[in-house]
Amino acid sequence: MKKNIFKLAMIFVGAISLTACGDDDNPMVINEEEVITTVEYTLTNTADANDVVVLRSIDADGEGPNDPIQTVSGDLTANADYEGSIRFLNETENPAENITEEVRDEADEHEVFYITNLSSLQITKTDTDDNNNPLGLFTDVTTGAAGMGNLTIVLRHEPNKPNDNTLAGAGGETDVQVVFEVAIQ
Amino acid sequence: MFTRTLVALLVLTGLHLVKAQECRLELKGVVIDFHDAQPLELAQIYVVQLQKTFSSKSDGSYIITGLCPGNYELKISHFDCESKTLSLNLQESMVRDITLEHHVNELQEVQVLADVHDDHNSSQSATRLDQESINRFSGGTLGDALESVHGVNALKTGSAVVKPIIHGLYGSRVSIVNDGLRQQDQEWGVEHAPNIDQNTAGNIQVIKGASALRYGGDAIGGTIVLEPNRVLAKDTLNGRLIMQGQTNGRGGSLTGTLNRFRKSGWFQQATLTYKRLGDFEAPDYILSNTGNQTAAANLKIGYKKFEYGASLKYSYYQASLGILRASHIGNASDLVSSINSRTPLVINDFTYDIAAPRQDVNHHGLQAQLFKRFASAGKLEVDYSFQFNNRKEFDIRRGERSGQASLDIDLSTHQMASVFRWDAMEKLNLETGLDGMFQINQPNPETGIRRLIPDYEAYRLGAFTSGIYRFNSSWILDAGLRYDLYHIDAQKFYLQSRWEDLEYDRLYPQFEVRQEGNQILTNPNFDYHLLAFTTGIQYIFDEHYDLSMNLSSANRAPNPSELFSDGLHHALATIELGRLDLEREQSYKINTVFHLNKKGFDAEINPHLNLINNFIQLVPTGLETTTRGAFPVYRYRQTNAILYGVDLSARYNFYKQSDSPTNLNTNVLAASIGSQFSYNHGNERDTDRPLIDMPAPQLRTSGTLYGLFNTALQIGLTHEWVFKQDRFPDYDYEVFVPNDQGGQDLRTVEISKSPDAYQLVHLEMGLPIGAKNSQPRAQVFLRINNVFDRSYRNYLNRQRFYVDELGRDIQLQLILNI
Repeated sequence: MKKNIFKLAMIFVGAISLTACGDDDNPMVINEEEVITTVEYTLTNTADANDVVVLRSIDADGEGPNDPIQTVSGDLTANADYEGSIRFLNETENPAENITEEVRDEADEHEVFYITNLSSLQITKTDTDDNNNPLGLFTDVTTGAAGMGNLTIVLRHEPNKPNDNTLAGAGGETDVQVVFEVAIQ
Repeated sequence: MFTRTLVALLVLTGLHLVKAQECRLELKGVVIDFHDAQPLELAQIYVVQLQKTFSSKSDGSYIITGLCPGNYELKISHFDCESKTLSLNLQESMVRDITLEHHVNELQEVQVLADVHDDHNSSQSATRLDQESINRFSGGTLGDALESVHGVNALKTGSAVVKPIIHGLYGSRVSIVNDGLRQQDQEWGVEHAPNIDQNTAGNIQVIKGASALRYGGDAIGGTIVLEPNRVLAKDTLNGRLIMQGQTNGRGGSLTGTLNRFRKSGWFQQATLTYKRLGDFEAPDYILSNTGNQTAAANLKIGYKKFEYGASLKYSYYQASLGILRASHIGNASDLVSSINSRTPLVINDFTYDIAAPRQDVNHHGLQAQLFKRFASAGKLEVDYSFQFNNRKEFDIRRGERSGQASLDIDLSTHQMASVFRWDAMEKLNLETGLDGMFQINQPNPETGIRRLIPDYEAYRLGAFTSGIYRFNSSWILDAGLRYDLYHIDAQKFYLQSRWEDLEYDRLYPQFEVRQEGNQILTNPNFDYHLLAFTTGIQYIFDEHYDLSMNLSSANRAPNPSELFSDGLHHALATIELGRLDLEREQSYKINTVFHLNKKGFDAEINPHLNLINNFIQLVPTGLETTTRGAFPVYRYRQTNAILYGVDLSARYNFYKQSDSPTNLNTNVLAASIGSQFSYNHGNERDTDRPLIDMPAPQLRTSGTLYGLFNTALQIGLTHEWVFKQDRFPDYDYEVFVPNDQGGQDLRTVEISKSPDAYQLVHLEMGLPIGAKNSQPRAQVFLRINNVFDRSYRNYLNRQRFYVDELGRDIQLQLILNI
């Protein structure tokens, strides 16, 4: 009697499960929509449109085990002025999703920080959000004497705005943090 | 003819001999409630052979003197109880406690003790929370209520997500049983609290070990059993309404229970609960985004006779829990700044709004129960339940996805259990059963974030037998055996690079299904055979002392999180990786309980030892760098562990049991003091490294004065002393943090060290008003938690890196008994 009840129950459970998991055998792949795989900082010499330096960091597997790969297309020219623009892409999607647009749409919740230990490299943010606080998608870059150093680019989500243009003062959450080696010739 | 005469002669002689013996034997004991071991007054004990009735005293004790050796049949009855027949062979004086299923007891005021030592009918170490203790936490969580039991701690994420820890173990190692069947609510996550409204429980039993085989064999930490309010067999309507407000969180809760019983056997029970709290406050700042809201309903209809009965129950639990805003972390460098800043980096004005990060959970349960008693055999119970659990977690996201959950998982579980209890034999009680579980986990693919837990189907089939044998009034032996087959079949996408990095392409090529972009679909499936047994012995010296010892062994299969979890956790900025090659855990636990109850003094000593082979734990294995920066990677690893410790409790009542002020609700001046201490020690056996998240030693001392100012006013003071946990594994790691000079500093992320010891004082005042059916019509309580508004941090709170615990909280609670 007890066994029969149990058997009956298992049949009932089985029946429900068969109907329940019909569409479950083929789960949909999820592409990370928010992951930023690529940071691309393009510097164009205001005096010479052919003098373009591209700093790029690509982490093709996003949160996967592989580290990002940084490439810098060339050296910056000494004592020159560059216009800088930065792009953030999600290349796990095809075509790649341009996350820069989302940053621009939520400009008041984002800010890009450029920090360098190369004293002859000056980077100034030229764009602002709706509240007239710096955003950092566009920059003016001035080079001085020749030298080598690091450029750290950090994108913060929900930082304190306005802030003192330091990472410590900005707070918020880091969405991007990449370090490039740059040289001025 | 001759034989017959001889037999008759022998019988007569026999009778004569018996008569000739001195009829001075005594049978005594206590009549107690089957459910909560409360003594039953005025139980009628009819001795068939004597044709005489005896009755129990106010403390439940009875004594029948002048008995001759021989067989006796006792019929025990009590107002609103199920009568019971007992056969005894009496050769010498005997102590025999009688348990009855009593129904009216809940109308009585119960003891003020936070816990009641469990009824002594098996060797397992168990403690029970009664209705009054549960009421005290009407505005809290199940975890808060359980934390008042010695040997139980709470693993917290903030103040609203509270998971019980039993003897140092939690999560999938502790199973929660609600009304006979296991709660299935994604208990695998550290930030997942049980989705149960504790206000629906009539009492809660905490079993500290794997000895409750009926409810599954894999609870190597312990089992928490929530039992509903009892069904009465008379025409009555009862219930209660509890209103509670608190200053910390600036909100409160309302819970109402109504039970309607008919003599015909029909009954209806309903409990509704609503709770709303805004941001909590630490002494120095507001804990932004820690508000929460809970709604729960529990509806039951049934028919119950002594011989048979059936019931149908629907329960619903919904909670929105804000997660501290400052605990949402971008990467390991952010974590360094958060930890080093002694105040949270985000403090906003007080609000009731619950923004991201937050959790939304919904739990639906439908349960059908049947039972039938078979005369001179026992009771058959058949239970079926369907549980649907949905969990959504909202992170701080960009763009139009900010309203979209990052995690959205549906877990559907069917469970079926049949248990037969053979209780007709005098000395042996046997329980045997079969049960099955079928479960489907479906994460929503629309989240735009890779699944933390994959799609899977799992089933479990189990069978058990356990028995309790009473040799005599001093010795009780119990034993049980259980086997489960657990099968899990998952469909999981791995990042191709991850699959290869973990060498799964070499180890598990058979699981590979197909490739999609940079991901690979796999079909991992595993079978686990789980065996559990328990055996124990109890020796009852006399009515004041008893000693029991229990050995339990159990296997636990790795849970879906341990097998499959794969992704970024924003709470601690970690990448968590499951492991497919995990073996089942194997635990051997010895619990010894010495219990003393004499002249108002009640004490318990419970040393315990648990050896766990293949203990699964999450340990950091290195750093991975992404475009977001660096993250520590945590992987599950198996080790052999040893856990041991001791729970001590003692209480002295400065009044006679018969004058118990809480029972009588009188103005007699009385007092009671008590203390609870627990110590837990956990180590990896091979390396001697301490286990993480082991509760620190703690001592809780409380005293209560009753009948003050010639009224029924009672005032209680509790001192809670939590020591510093000096034993923790060193999982600190180093990470480069960009500084504002363009360079990078190598900084240590101090996630291992434990916070300092702390001492808290809590105050409680209570006043019963009026009386009806030996319980007060109403009770008013004023409670002040953390009276001195002390700032402290708790090692077992995942948010200890960011913020202090709650400051002073003044609560006012009104209980109306209907």
